[in-house]
Amino acid sequence: MRMKPFSLSAALALFFVLLSQPGFAKVFKIATVSPEGSGWMKTMRAAGKDIEAATEGRVKLKFYPGGVMGNDSAVLRKIRIRQLHGAALTGGSLRQFYPDVEAYSLPLLFRSFAEVDHVRQQMDSKILSGLADGGFISFGIAEGGLAYAMSDTPVTQVAQLREKKVWAPANDKAALQAMRAFDISPYPLELSNVLVSLQTGMINSVATSPIAAIALQWHTQVKYISDLPLMYFFATLVLEKRAFESLSTNDQNIVSQRLEESFAYIDQQNRMDNENAFSALQQQGLKVVNIPATDQQAWHQRADKATAKIIDDGLVSRDFYSEMQRLLDEFRNQGSSGPLAAN
Amino acid sequence: MALTACSSLISSQTGKLADGLTNAVLNSEDLATVEQGAPAYLLLIDGLIESSPQDASLLTTGARLNGAYAAAFVEDDARKRAMNQKALNYAKAAACARNSSLCNVQTDDFQTLQKAVAEETAIEPLYVLGVAWLGWLQAHSDDWNAVAQLSRAKLCLDRVVDLDEAYDGGNAHLYLGGIATLLPPAMGGQPELGKQHFEAAIRLSDGKNLLAKVIYAQQYARLVFDQELHDRLLTEVLASNPQAPGLTLSNLAAQDQAQLLLDESAEYF
Repeated sequence: MRMKPFSLSAALALFFVLLSQPGFAKVFKIATVSPEGSGWMKTMRAAGKDIEAATEGRVKLKFYPGGVMGNDSAVLRKIRIRQLHGAALTGGSLRQFYPDVEAYSLPLLFRSFAEVDHVRQQMDSKILSGLADGGFISFGIAEGGLAYAMSDTPVTQVAQLREKKVWAPANDKAALQAMRAFDISPYPLELSNVLVSLQTGMINSVATSPIAAIALQWHTQVKYISDLPLMYFFATLVLEKRAFESLSTNDQNIVSQRLEESFAYIDQQNRMDNENAFSALQQQGLKVVNIPATDQQAWHQRADKATAKIIDDGLVSRDFYSEMQRLLDEFRNQGSSGPLAAN
Repeated sequence: MALTACSSLISSQTGKLADGLTNAVLNSEDLATVEQGAPAYLLLIDGLIESSPQDASLLTTGARLNGAYAAAFVEDDARKRAMNQKALNYAKAAACARNSSLCNVQTDDFQTLQKAVAEETAIEPLYVLGVAWLGWLQAHSDDWNAVAQLSRAKLCLDRVVDLDEAYDGGNAHLYLGGIATLLPPAMGGQPELGKQHFEAAIRLSDGKNLLAKVIYAQQYARLVFDQELHDRLLTEVLASNPQAPGLTLSNLAAQDQAQLLLDESAEYF
């Protein structure tokens, strides 16, 4: 039977009316590698419940934890075909949408958490707005930490690290590039193979955060931590912009507020965890290796060269880098005489 | 000489009493009675240990009962931490009484401990130490210095599996499965290794260890997002008879947990 034009348009109108009713919740499907039961997942699930209650069921967050949706690039592919609407991702994985998202991870950029805080206070909002222009709404940055070289023998000089069999995360172009900048030939391995490779001597050095070293139990196979932060890294929770903007302004505000609060909490928690984990590593017998000033200078000269190349290649914009450097110089100058000196 | 003979007799009798109490607790179907009654037994064991602080058998019993009671009944975090601390202290003392190379298990260099554990051939002290350590670790999971000891506890349980994987109905496999599935593969976890451990724990207990199925569902099936396996395992647990020698108490707790997990299934997957 042929449907009359009138009844078709009436049916469509009804359909759209129904769609706008509260009964039709917007479900945001969000992937993360965090395992169920982790502090991160508990915080995010609590935020999801809050959002559902505050929007009277109009917005729900459905999480896919434990990396079940695949690695960062698989997750981004699924977001593109609308199978997912968002994800918690490492900063670097979003470089194609906003290259400066990698700027915090330039080699040896930060010398302390105090420097991190000073720069992030000014620059986080730029990263968030850059990501928004790239099509993703981010609800903040959660610190992963500062990575340190951990090894079976003390490492104070670049040349000593070159002699080592150093792990690099497989498929992490930024990490591989950073190591090559120091003429280190890394051994790319999946995370799950690192512990056994340390045990068998296939590798004998890793660069990672104190939290990761303990969570993955790598600390049982290394004896020294070089007291020189090599790289800062972070994660962020993003929702695909069009999906987010399909919400009413009021619901957008509720979602933003709850997720921003949760992310700020995770950010602070990770800072405390990293500081506590650094102490725990020492309690477990790892020795902190102080780097003499002349050696530090050599590390920084090498890092500056690598950074210059990254900027010249356009991987991070000169503007963003210059602004970060200005803030760091400002902080370091104040630090020598003012109250901002810390860490 | 007579005194030595007399104290051995007392030790042997208290050992039997302690074993009997442990069995009574672990085999009980009446959770409320155990919850209310067991603290008196725990005090009794504490008293006996105070009189014989080197008695490995009493120490082992004390470790097992404190750990089991904390896991089954204690909700309060501070109390849970205290009971697990006591369980670990007893387990460490039992291991030390048996082998002087195992007297500094928390502070020795990891490789030194690895060597000492690899040379130990007595299963029970290693097993009790590994289990008490994991209980302690779980109760202190917000302390990085505790989390850092996970590999040490794992060493003990790995050695138990090497010596006799069927010990205590293959329960060491259950704990090792739990460790392997703590993290997703993207973060260094090994779910497929965990799956092998869980299946070994189920096989070696003839399917009677219901907690093995519950943890298999909770840790593995949820991690790999396999709802069919998750729901099947939990449904089997709920349909099973919880009575089994040495397992009744934990099976009853496992059934409670299975119901909770099954109720959440639709929301999780």
